[in-house]
Amino acid sequence: MITPPFEFSLIVTAAADVLTVEVAGELDHQTSDALVRTVVGHLSPGGAAFRRVRLDFGRLTWIDSMGLSALLAVHRHAGAVGVTLHLDSRPGFLERLLTLTGTLDHLTTTVTTTAAAGDPVPEAEAG
Amino acid sequence: MLVVDRAGGIVEANDAARTVLPDVTGGDGPYENLPDWLTEAHRHMTGGLGATWAEPPSGAIGGRHFEAHPRPGADGDVAWWLIDATDRHLAEETLRREQERAAILSEVSSTLLSSLNVPRCMEVTARLATRHLADAAVLVAPAQGRRHPVTYAQAHGPAVRVTRAVDPATVPGLAEALQGFPPVPTRWIDPGAIPAWAIPEGFEGPVGSVTVTPLPGHGVPAGALILLRSSTVRAFTESENVFARLFAARAGAALSAARLYTEQAAVTATLMQELLPPALGGVHGVDYAGGYRPAQDSERIGGDFYDVHPGADPSQESLVVLGDVAGKGLDAAVLTGKIRNTLHALLPLAHDHQHVLNLLNAALLTSRHTRFATLVLVSARHRAGRVRLRLTSAGHLPPLIVRADGRVEESGTRGNLVGAMPAVSVRTEETVLAPGETCLLYTDGITEARGGPLGGELYGVERLKRALAECAGMPAEAVVERVQMLAAQWLGQGRHDDMAVIAISAPRPRPLTVTGGDMHRGHSGNPGRSGRPGEPGVPGDPGTPHERHGRSA
Amino acid sequence: MTDFGNATADLRKRLWEAVLDGDAYHATDVLHQGLDAGLERETLLLGVIGKVQEKVGREWAANRITVAQEHAATAVNERALTTLVPPAPAPPSAGPNRSRGRGRVAVACVEGEWHAFPARLVAEVLQLRGWQVDYLGPQIPGPHLIAHLHHTQADVALLSTSLPTRLPAAHAMIAACQAVGVPVMVGGRGFGVDGRHAGAVGADRWAPDARAAAAALEAGIAAPGPRAARQVVDDLPHLADQEYTMVVKSRSQLIERTLAGLEEHVPAVRHYTDTQRERTAEDYAHIVDFLATALYVDDAGLFTDFLAWTADVLDARSVSARCLVPGLHLLGRQLQDFPRATILLRHGAAAVAARPDSDPEDSP
Repeated sequence: MITPPFEFSLIVTAAADVLTVEVAGELDHQTSDALVRTVVGHLSPGGAAFRRVRLDFGRLTWIDSMGLSALLAVHRHAGAVGVTLHLDSRPGFLERLLTLTGTLDHLTTTVTTTAAAGDPVPEAEAG
Repeated sequence: MLVVDRAGGIVEANDAARTVLPDVTGGDGPYENLPDWLTEAHRHMTGGLGATWAEPPSGAIGGRHFEAHPRPGADGDVAWWLIDATDRHLAEETLRREQERAAILSEVSSTLLSSLNVPRCMEVTARLATRHLADAAVLVAPAQGRRHPVTYAQAHGPAVRVTRAVDPATVPGLAEALQGFPPVPTRWIDPGAIPAWAIPEGFEGPVGSVTVTPLPGHGVPAGALILLRSSTVRAFTESENVFARLFAARAGAALSAARLYTEQAAVTATLMQELLPPALGGVHGVDYAGGYRPAQDSERIGGDFYDVHPGADPSQESLVVLGDVAGKGLDAAVLTGKIRNTLHALLPLAHDHQHVLNLLNAALLTSRHTRFATLVLVSARHRAGRVRLRLTSAGHLPPLIVRADGRVEESGTRGNLVGAMPAVSVRTEETVLAPGETCLLYTDGITEARGGPLGGELYGVERLKRALAECAGMPAEAVVERVQMLAAQWLGQGRHDDMAVIAISAPRPRPLTVTGGDMHRGHSGNPGRSGRPGEPGVPGDPGTPHERHGRSA
Repeated sequence: MTDFGNATADLRKRLWEAVLDGDAYHATDVLHQGLDAGLERETLLLGVIGKVQEKVGREWAANRITVAQEHAATAVNERALTTLVPPAPAPPSAGPNRSRGRGRVAVACVEGEWHAFPARLVAEVLQLRGWQVDYLGPQIPGPHLIAHLHHTQADVALLSTSLPTRLPAAHAMIAACQAVGVPVMVGGRGFGVDGRHAGAVGADRWAPDARAAAAALEAGIAAPGPRAARQVVDDLPHLADQEYTMVVKSRSQLIERTLAGLEEHVPAVRHYTDTQRERTAEDYAHIVDFLATALYVDDAGLFTDFLAWTADVLDARSVSARCLVPGLHLLGRQLQDFPRATILLRHGAAAVAARPDSDPEDSP
């Protein structure tokens, strides 16, 4: 059981077929496990049948490579059970990290074009 | 009570005094029948000093212990009241000895526990044993193969350590002690039967008495201690044997801890050897320098890595790799090892960066986790004084190129990280370094260093570019060192991620030389040293070389 | 000796030209010509390479060479040095072996020290004199040094720093070495030109230069006793007044408030660019670091010496050192509850203000 620093929090809202997780604080090597466990826990068989997972980064303050690893893990789990992942309200540093690492398209796999920076909610399908 | 005159003659003695000192009145000369300690006390009294001692004089008389309390009389006579303090004295004596032994044991523990080096622990044990227990000590450690490490010590001499083939069975009780059996009673050991190897060289006189004590370890014996006294000294008493066992218990515990540490450190060192960054230097007319600082300062390895794979000959490209695995510490380091090995195996395909990265991606993909790596591949070749580079970033910070005029360019290469997605697609960029120009590869530990004079601020790419602008024309190792130093100063005491830097430079040509290419190699010196971080230097100054005041700019 | 004296002076001159030119080949040639002329390696190391390196530092401080030149010159000098020294005997892979030579020593810089050249010279000289030397370089964290000492059973650890601000770190490293039974010899300008800070931070020996270090080792240094394991406050009881702790802990705040105060009181500062502001902040960061160190070793001279040196460096760059005075007063006001710090700052400001002003126009 990890103890995330006090700034980090996950606020989970389950509404109809959408699971929304608001990620606040620093998503890093100390906190990223908690995000993966939280999302995977809600997507486990026998739970509610979600069709979308929305990660809301409006109050994200920092992300490191382990944080990105966690997003890739969440994306993989979601894809495996046919759930679409959305990365909402991405701050500039997250956008830059996703662009630099070439993961933006993969994580948001848009049908039409690549989401432009600042576009809050790219329409996405699970990859 | 007895009365002693100024000259030391006994004037009077009562019955009790006669019982204690039967010959008290039979003597001829002064002081003849007084014990030495009382004689001295009397002289002290009559010599004009008076009864000025803090404790009354005391000493042995006929196997018992007396205190003497003086009463000055007429004409310089002194009446001495003798009080039998034997029991109290015995109690005090025992207490003192116990305190002394406790102090010795405490010293033994703190001296031994301070070292985790096995040979030093053995030396210290043998030396302490000669100081507190015996004239000489021989510590026999369990055999390594067919030989035993043996440490010899004598009082006032240095400890000598040798490894020799000895037969423990030749010393009574030694084989048993090394096998963890209880110690053999001292009286069973014939001092005359001790073989020469178990006696330190130069030991004076025949051996008078011997004791063999096991050093208990972590379940298995840590060795055995042979204590020797010469025949002119009294034999070991039972109480001394008990103390020797306590001593041996402390020494054995310390020795076992040191042995455990040494074994684990050796395992770690062996495993880490493969994961440490390589030493770099000049290869085929291109200069390389690298620097690495892992996040956890107690470990030497982490999630950043770099390698330079020289081309088969100067006409072939060399492949430079710098990368960063998600995460820190050992877990990350193990993955860097896998990546470095895989890339090494893929070297024959290095002309096609995208192909290499896709093969690496496939090798790293696993269903167990999404731990990924970002890296930069650079193929470098020297030609006619210039260095041609092909640069490919797989999700990594783009390389920075420091031009001779101080311009700093960011390479336009882009691509996906490896190890977490089905395929990798990259854009390779080419560039050429003129003499004195440098291409810098670095990990985000540098640009994400938090600190600065006001604290908590990111170092950032812009600061790095400004710093590099001042590095135009500098040799590769000086650039690396400058970047590392600035990042370290920016951090101060702050926590940091792994930080790795590689500089690839086109060396400035040597004037008056005939051929380019390899001449540089002749001067890169001892290859084992060239990878060491160098140093900027103002050793002659009491202060710090720091950037100047804004207004002077 | 005069002939060799002339020879070394000539080599120094030519090596200086080579390192300034960034020409490692030429530098190497110069040194090898010295060898061919019959000079001892030790003489070349100390009388030529070491002297040239000192000059690099002096010339930078006097603003006659740039930071880049300084780094390049150092790199060239070091590269030349490596070609001068015969390869070290094979490192003892199978653990300690004391049968060979004089003994074994570890040479390292104090954590956070980047000026490794003096330590490097000492390491090479000791190796030439027959010691088994493990040169651990400038970036070694304390735990690595201790692990190394456990592993190698070194007879002595040699620690170097040119920066007085590394004294608290040096103190911790020295105590850690002694606690594992290894005596410590220190050197470098950080311990004071006369080594006066070496005792304060618990070193067993101080050596003014490489030859003195070799002589001290040859004379022997006793291993510390069991009482060597101790707390730093036992060495420096004045630390109990918490002044050092408070200054270190409030470092960022002190600098930030001083900058804010400067903007308020010194009009020119209001027009600084971000870069200028950051460099000014860095200057005050150094001042606060030296103040903290002076409090640590309880030596006012350490602080005033640093201010005098800074003033010289500023003078060389045509900046009036008097620009430091308002900042020192601002720091003093923030630390008025701390008597030792207050006195240091007051004396420091007075010393700077009393300097002859080389460029009065620049004075705020």
